[in-house]
Amino acid sequence: MPNMVLNNVRPFVNGKFGKPTKMCLVDGAWTDSAPEGTPEFDAKGALAIPALFGLGLDFKEPLRDDIYTFKDGVCAMRRGGFFGGLYESSANPIDDSQKLTAMQQLSAKSSLEFAFLGAFSMGFLCKDLSEMVELAQGGAVGFGDGNRDCSRTRFLRLAMEYGSMTGKRFFFMPLDDSLRHHGLVHEGCYADTLGMKSIPRIAETIAAFRILEMSRFLNVPVHFKQVSCGETLKLVEMARAQGVDVTCDVDIYHLLIDDSSLFDLNSNFNVSMPFRSAEDREALWKGLESGTVNAISMNHDPVLGQDKEVNFEDAVPGAVSLETALPAIWKPLSERLGAARAVELLSTAPAQLAGVAPAALEVGKRADVVILDPDSPMSVGASLFAGQVSNSPLLGKTLPSKILGTYLGGVWTEV
Amino acid sequence: MSALEIKHLFGLRGVSKHDIRLILDNAKQFREILERPVKKVPSLRGMTVVNLFFENSTRTRTSFELAEKRLSADTVNFTSSNSSVKKGETLVDTLRNIEAMKIDIVVVRHKGTGVPQFLADNSNAIIVNAGDGAHEHPTQALLDMLTVEEKLGTLEGKNVTIVGDIRHSRVARSNLWGMTTMGAHVTLCGPSTLVPRNTELMNKVTWESDVKKAVKNADAIIALRLQKERMDDALLPSMREYRNTFGITRELLECAKDKVLIMHPGPINRGVELDSEIADGENSVILNQVTNGVAVRMAVLYLLAGGRANA
Repeated sequence: MPNMVLNNVRPFVNGKFGKPTKMCLVDGAWTDSAPEGTPEFDAKGALAIPALFGLGLDFKEPLRDDIYTFKDGVCAMRRGGFFGGLYESSANPIDDSQKLTAMQQLSAKSSLEFAFLGAFSMGFLCKDLSEMVELAQGGAVGFGDGNRDCSRTRFLRLAMEYGSMTGKRFFFMPLDDSLRHHGLVHEGCYADTLGMKSIPRIAETIAAFRILEMSRFLNVPVHFKQVSCGETLKLVEMARAQGVDVTCDVDIYHLLIDDSSLFDLNSNFNVSMPFRSAEDREALWKGLESGTVNAISMNHDPVLGQDKEVNFEDAVPGAVSLETALPAIWKPLSERLGAARAVELLSTAPAQLAGVAPAALEVGKRADVVILDPDSPMSVGASLFAGQVSNSPLLGKTLPSKILGTYLGGVWTEV
Repeated sequence: MSALEIKHLFGLRGVSKHDIRLILDNAKQFREILERPVKKVPSLRGMTVVNLFFENSTRTRTSFELAEKRLSADTVNFTSSNSSVKKGETLVDTLRNIEAMKIDIVVVRHKGTGVPQFLADNSNAIIVNAGDGAHEHPTQALLDMLTVEEKLGTLEGKNVTIVGDIRHSRVARSNLWGMTTMGAHVTLCGPSTLVPRNTELMNKVTWESDVKKAVKNADAIIALRLQKERMDDALLPSMREYRNTFGITRELLECAKDKVLIMHPGPINRGVELDSEIADGENSVILNQVTNGVAVRMAVLYLLAGGRANA
């Protein structure tokens, strides 16, 4: 494994950033010293943050490797400082153990840590149960909906009831398809002004309530992906108070963007879970503060340029996030919640939700680390993104912080 | 000639009173020209206008085409039914191919909100919105405003009531912005499933669910076309109930001012949003709207092209 010496870097140890020091990274671990001739990097006082764990990764391969490949995804993770991620592809449902094994073999080449969600129904169609017991035995860490609404409530019950034998958590993006009704954006003044088909908050809260009731009834742990409005967080709090085992995440872009962005009519703002109002955005931040929200998710969803180079409503929804997440969110997150909570939300908690040991910086242990200059602005150009995609709402923007390099799975990547 | 502040016409939201005034004043002059035996002027001679219609349209496309021909422009019609779009070409590629043929102005209609702005971002041509989704249809609103001014002298202080499917209406949205900018008071009325729940204009307009109250003080009533698809989507129970609740009928007009103007963007569903005797009655200015449509579109094309030539 390549070794690296980081000079003048401030590692995050025991819940805080230390004074500028030297970090020797040898054979993937933080050691006291490095062999003579090891390359050195002057971090100029930048932060050494435990590497991130990405919730909601979809690299499209194999069925849509014309869009993006696993190799592209791993490249994006290295640029963005992610030591691992929870993978669930809507294009490639992992609904049998052969598919799970194939994805595990694909990911094993990367030296990064991947966990996989199995599909609880075949093809995410909510008609036939997947072989959840075998999937769990094969290493699936939970079961997901592929970000598609399971409108058949009886099937939902049977899937969760059957899956309860595995003890695994069920992951849902709560969004009632009937209420969504071809909507693309948040139902609010911006959508109404633009005359765009919209999605009311109740599409999320009604779906969430149904799942929470099912969870309470069956005693099956659930997780909500990409919670977008404050009312859902209230439901989560109420359910927890009744003893329901429910966790949730919020999408990184929902913390940065609200529906006022619609007036730009930029197709890169067309994402699966719509950007909601400024009040909702603030409620999500408060959810991070209060602990209602467990983690920040990435929902890295590549879309080809030609599928975004159209008007907003005809664009394929989705946004890539891995390369820009940390530079975009670190400053507002750490300033509002403190560095320790920021690391927890981006690294520790997401990994724990996926059943993966979190990254931690300690001399003598494996070191997955991202070097961030919090005060150095970074312009987001298309070349920043891995593969042939650049479908980011942040394209063309300037971010408050900059990643200088990452050391992940024993590989140094200078960004 | 005074110049427009806008470079393209995407919609009327954000368009200044100065620009709307300029368009309406020019339209009045073109309106006079349209009454002459020779209706053609050489204003756009040598310029090429493409009518890029991705949605079916008869009257708007014909109105634009006539306006272009009256201004002596070379015109090309491009409709989605006979275009490369059917063969899978992207919108940007379609535009780039058309632009490579050295066109000056694109008049576009599309089902998607923001397509005119998208085209402007990807081309050097002047873009005129002929209707984008449920967003805006600015030339329709301008011709509505011209018609009200023609009949009532001014928009300032006038009460304009729009009745019908506000939620899905680009005509209503453009009229909201344009009419309020010009000092009119706008009242919206329609079934609760067809009225937006939120709008940036909430403080500027009046919402009224009772159509009798909505028309009581109106100087002009704009009835919107009711799409039959709204019934399929369970937004309304029946045409019958709609007509009886929101239709502009003789009985309803007894609650309104005697000389209230009756307007409609067309085509009319007779006996649904508008009874025949009202559509053809003495209060109706629907055919004036059609004539004014050509004049307004002439003014828009002339002023936008003039702005480019003067740049």
